[in-house]
Amino acid sequence: MTASTSVQADAAISVRGVAKTFSARHEVRALEAVDFDVGLGEFVAVLGPSGCGKSTLLRIIAGLVPSDAGGEVKVLNRLQVDVSDQVGVVFQTHNMLPWLNVEENLRLAAEVRGVPPRELDPRIEELLVVLKLDAFRRSYPHELSGGMRQRAGLGQILALRPQVLLLDEPFGALDALTRDQLNIELLRIWQEMKKTVMLVTHSIAEAVFLSDRVLVMSDRPGRIIEQVRIDLPRPRSNETKAASQFGRYVVHLNELMGVR
Amino acid sequence: MFAVLALVWEKSVDIFHIKPYLLPPLSKVLTTAWSSRAVLFRESWITTLEIVQGFGWALVAGVALAVAIQASAFAQRTVYPLIVAFQGLPKIALAPLMVVWVGYGSASKVLMAFLFAFFPVVIGTLGGLASTSPALLEHFRAIRASRWTTFRRLHVPSALPAIIDGAKTAMPLAVIGAIVGEFVGSEAGLGHLILEANANGRTDLLFAALLMVSAVAGLLYLAVELVGRRVWWRAL
Repeated sequence: MTASTSVQADAAISVRGVAKTFSARHEVRALEAVDFDVGLGEFVAVLGPSGCGKSTLLRIIAGLVPSDAGGEVKVLNRLQVDVSDQVGVVFQTHNMLPWLNVEENLRLAAEVRGVPPRELDPRIEELLVVLKLDAFRRSYPHELSGGMRQRAGLGQILALRPQVLLLDEPFGALDALTRDQLNIELLRIWQEMKKTVMLVTHSIAEAVFLSDRVLVMSDRPGRIIEQVRIDLPRPRSNETKAASQFGRYVVHLNELMGVR
Repeated sequence: MFAVLALVWEKSVDIFHIKPYLLPPLSKVLTTAWSSRAVLFRESWITTLEIVQGFGWALVAGVALAVAIQASAFAQRTVYPLIVAFQGLPKIALAPLMVVWVGYGSASKVLMAFLFAFFPVVIGTLGGLASTSPALLEHFRAIRASRWTTFRRLHVPSALPAIIDGAKTAMPLAVIGAIVGEFVGSEAGLGHLILEANANGRTDLLFAALLMVSAVAGLLYLAVELVGRRVWWRAL
């Protein structure tokens, strides 16, 4: 059940000695030195209680926040010093501009990164269909349900065709039912598009359901206390959650997090 | 509502025996306005041009200054306190100085309208720029948007609702500025006409001029309102 920290040759993400101390009024140690790899095409969930520094970890990997000295992040064997074009990030709050309609919002990130319209047009048409937003392409964010907004937010990043997808509880603000639906869609898209995904979440069931491997983080200062490989068959569906193996993973992770 | 008010005005002059040089009946004001329409429109046009120019410059300069203050910590420390200090000064008191500086002509009125309208635009724009969502700012960083792209596609649309609000405050103030400018020293405009009518005991003409002032102010405000409706996400 437990995997060791082995160095993978074909790592999509490689994290070595990444730590973070915030010093505003007083010093807060957010992250203890963290090491791990994410393989190409792998779906890894980082699981931890709120405030454990998992979002900070994601931001460091994205290149949005620098690691403390000595830490090193490589994405696709390139040292991550700034945000790179290979990485797409979806945050918990949706990323749509209120004054743009769904189609314009889907185009936004790719336009900003300079994808020519010729290439972008077919991508957007495909995404509108895949994300079931075709009928709403002229709608504005405030006219959409929370689930649709989050789907469109994911779509905006998928339009970048990133090799590596970093997700910070992208469906965290949604009700459980919508969240389950979007997770199934996310898996479908991931399997079609063969991307590397790192997802940050505090939901044990979500982490088990989605990922190939769960990295369990401790309370602050966050460090990885355990890695659990999830050997559940794919494609996964709602039946996956009924399997006894699924329950055993959930119980095991519960224990790991409860100890803290 | 207006009809009731007009009726009360018209009848109360009779009923309470108010002297016509204090309050002429509405009918008299309207006949005077009609017979003096050429003068009224000419003076209104002059004042309107002063207001629009002053307001326009205030809008351009106010937005530009707010952007500079927002973009540079240096401007924030140096220019901003200066502006706040200046705002404390009653701008009416500056009117005589403006006449001395730029003369009796329309320039001093444009300048007064500008001074009155400038500050609300700066404050509105600053507030709007600061209200840009931090989550969206991080998103723009994550999609590697340049400073210019972030400004153009995120800061400006985020700030537009507050700029519109600032403009709505600024427009009536620009009207006040122009009229005050004309009061202090002028040869033309509605403010000048009001003073002249007053001096000649022509209360009917004075009221007609006042009606024109409110008509001009109302129409200009409506214009801002109509342009503002294009920023529809203001209402969200």
